Amino acid sequence: METTVEMRGDGLRSALWRPLNGLSRAYLLALAVAFLVGAWGLGCWGYQIVRGIGVAGIRRPTMWGFYLVNFVFWIGISHAGTLISAILRLTDAGWRKPVTRAAEAITVFALMIGAAFPIIHLGRPLVFFWLFPYPNSRLLWPNFRSPLLWDVTAISTYLTGSVIYLYLPLIPDLAELAQHATGWRLRLYRLLSIGWTGSDRQWHSLERAMKMMAGTILAVAVSVHTVVAWDFAMAVAPMWHSTIYGPYFVAGAIFSGIAALVVAMSVIRKVLHLENYLQPVHFENLGKLLLLMSLLWVYFTVSEHLTTWYGNSPAEMRVFGERVRGRFAPYFWFMVLCNFVLPFVLLSIRRLRSVATITIAGVAVLIGMWIERFLIILPTLSRPHLPAAAGFYSPTWVEISITASTFAAMVMFYLIFCKLFPIIAVWEYKHVSHG
Amino acid sequence: MFLTAEFSDAPSVGAALRALKAGGFDAAQMDVFSTEPVELPEGLLERPSHMSLAAVAGAATLGILAILFVRYTQYDYPLVTGGMPLFSWWATGVIFYEFTMFGAIFTTFATFLVESGLLKRRRAIPDPVLVAGRIQVRVCCDAGRAATATECLQRAGALNMVES
Amino acid sequence: MEHRWGMAIDLDRCTGCEACVAACHAENNLPLSDPDQAEKGRAFHWIRVDRYYEGEFPDVRVKFMPVLCQHCEEAPCEPVCPVYATYHNPEGLNVQVYNRCVGTRYCGNNCPYSVRFFNWFEPEWPQPLELQHNPDVAVRPGGVMEKCTFCIQRIQRVKRDAKAESRAVVDGEVQPACVQSCPAEAMTFGDLNDPESKVSRLAASGRATRLLEDLGAKPKVFYLQRAK
Repeated sequence: METTVEMRGDGLRSALWRPLNGLSRAYLLALAVAFLVGAWGLGCWGYQIVRGIGVAGIRRPTMWGFYLVNFVFWIGISHAGTLISAILRLTDAGWRKPVTRAAEAITVFALMIGAAFPIIHLGRPLVFFWLFPYPNSRLLWPNFRSPLLWDVTAISTYLTGSVIYLYLPLIPDLAELAQHATGWRLRLYRLLSIGWTGSDRQWHSLERAMKMMAGTILAVAVSVHTVVAWDFAMAVAPMWHSTIYGPYFVAGAIFSGIAALVVAMSVIRKVLHLENYLQPVHFENLGKLLLLMSLLWVYFTVSEHLTTWYGNSPAEMRVFGERVRGRFAPYFWFMVLCNFVLPFVLLSIRRLRSVATITIAGVAVLIGMWIERFLIILPTLSRPHLPAAAGFYSPTWVEISITASTFAAMVMFYLIFCKLFPIIAVWEYKHVSHG
Repeated sequence: MFLTAEFSDAPSVGAALRALKAGGFDAAQMDVFSTEPVELPEGLLERPSHMSLAAVAGAATLGILAILFVRYTQYDYPLVTGGMPLFSWWATGVIFYEFTMFGAIFTTFATFLVESGLLKRRRAIPDPVLVAGRIQVRVCCDAGRAATATECLQRAGALNMVES
Repeated sequence: MEHRWGMAIDLDRCTGCEACVAACHAENNLPLSDPDQAEKGRAFHWIRVDRYYEGEFPDVRVKFMPVLCQHCEEAPCEPVCPVYATYHNPEGLNVQVYNRCVGTRYCGNNCPYSVRFFNWFEPEWPQPLELQHNPDVAVRPGGVMEKCTFCIQRIQRVKRDAKAESRAVVDGEVQPACVQSCPAEAMTFGDLNDPESKVSRLAASGRATRLLEDLGAKPKVFYLQRAK
């Protein structure tokens, strides 16, 4: 297992390559805990497959529960990379450069986790592949009119695009690492860098490809979360059948994505001693973006709720009442606190803005956005059109375990990623510091 | 034969390339190797690319194929759902859009692999080893022109020169 | 001409006895839930009787409304199924194909009448009730959605018999279990495409209303009640 990356005299490279070497006790402990929680979740899923989806708390009429909340939540988090890499790349915001790879890694892992949930929530998960079009003995093609098929297409496209978008800027770094590595790392880096030699032809092509990918991935990301939103908006259920859902979800996704990025960066900065490279200015700028998205979120939330309340349609008012004044009210107002009040206070008052407070705002937003997804799905299902069919959901230990394990899985994937690849793009960083 | 010279910054590389061009060498014979992209003046080292065209073509192809596929499958085993038509442009819109994007992504990546030359396994000679902070210029020329090339490079401020 | 099956339920006759519910259970191999599961909202009743109370004691009036799958012409549950497990057959029935169902439950969420039921576990019957199963009806596995089928097995049987005897189906010959069992004869089933059938005449009467009509799903169950 002897494998190292030789340290260079150059401060940037030694700082960014040092984390690749060695396994500290803290790292192994964190990895072990994340792995165990993740494995427990996987075990719970296995139990669910064997025993039946009934071990989850879902019931009639709330046929979708935690798993769909998690699905929407993780796909939302995956918009971190898209915003930072694509939008900021297209607007040529130089400050984004140290942050891009961390963001793109979040995107890929969040997408992988999010895409698992449509399989987890199925009643017959072992035949999930029936949603894919392939010639089969059932003499049947999938129903492309269903928003769930649109989901499948959109998420597959986004996952492919994100992996490529993460991989492309990684190639030059991998090539450089291969020159200084030994053992299995050498083989891995050499394989993955596909013969990159840094010729100007390659650089031209790479930069062109990255620019094109930035535009395309942005277009895909907007469509992905819109399509996820349309899973709900296309239904006739009260307060789901709303035109605001598409933009609402995209804005919410970018919002939660930035929050996740801020939290991830904060941890990386501390743990990998990258204070010189992930500077307060980066957090300042992300904090301002987070504030902007928080205001946008409030705008959408107020729009949706005000119009519903004013319209006073009976079916919708039952759901509205449940959400704002009824059973779900504590969650609703806590969500407003987490998504708006706290970030607004911490981020708009300059004296309060610091790396620590911006991170706290990020954590609050993550909690708030998870609750928001919950509040989008459950109140509507609890109060269907026919009042006699109302019913309330409570999650079981299986759902809670699987939810917790996804966070553990994210941490684990990230830990492994940070051990294999430098979390800041070395070639891009140098590039910006020279102008 | 190949001449490789090392420079320490972009302006001297620019000067070297200009000198080589004036000396009668063309862009196809010149290569610049670096650990990060080098900012050269516009038009100095033109590398024509078909990536935009390829991406649009790929997008259009996959988009149209997607529509044809959906139409074929909906009529192959026709099942009425919700009183709606078997094939509807609006309902297919999302699938069309996603496949268009997928086509663009796929062709962009494929074009990158092809145009960057990364897929070529055999190279005439191994590319120079990269040194951080240094930029290397390599000229492919026959023995007769070697002297001209060497002179151009040295005048621009080459630090090391290697022949292979 | 193709049949177009529909139903009329006379709310002025319905006594809320729930014989229809019991008959449906017996006819269609409905799984039984234990009290725990029932409390969690997992009981199965393809047809259920909703009770609506009006007024204050002692002037309380109760309206009983049997709610079953309305077999909507433009059913919201159909387009959202990714695997065509539910679709509209040429006879106007909203068909549920158990073999195709993957269990996404989108259809269940999209039904405004909440008439769809999901098999959260493999269905079980305490012995000896599994001996009571109707051989004409499939026993569903865990993880699939199910709902009222207008007793499609009875429709098929009547059509087969009529064809074997080279005659047309007579009005009133097809009787789903609920219609057959109603002691107040509140339920009528028949071919809406036949203007002379009893159900067509009742549907055209001044007392006919439909549930959640403004949603535009075009349900085929007509509720007859005195006009206010």
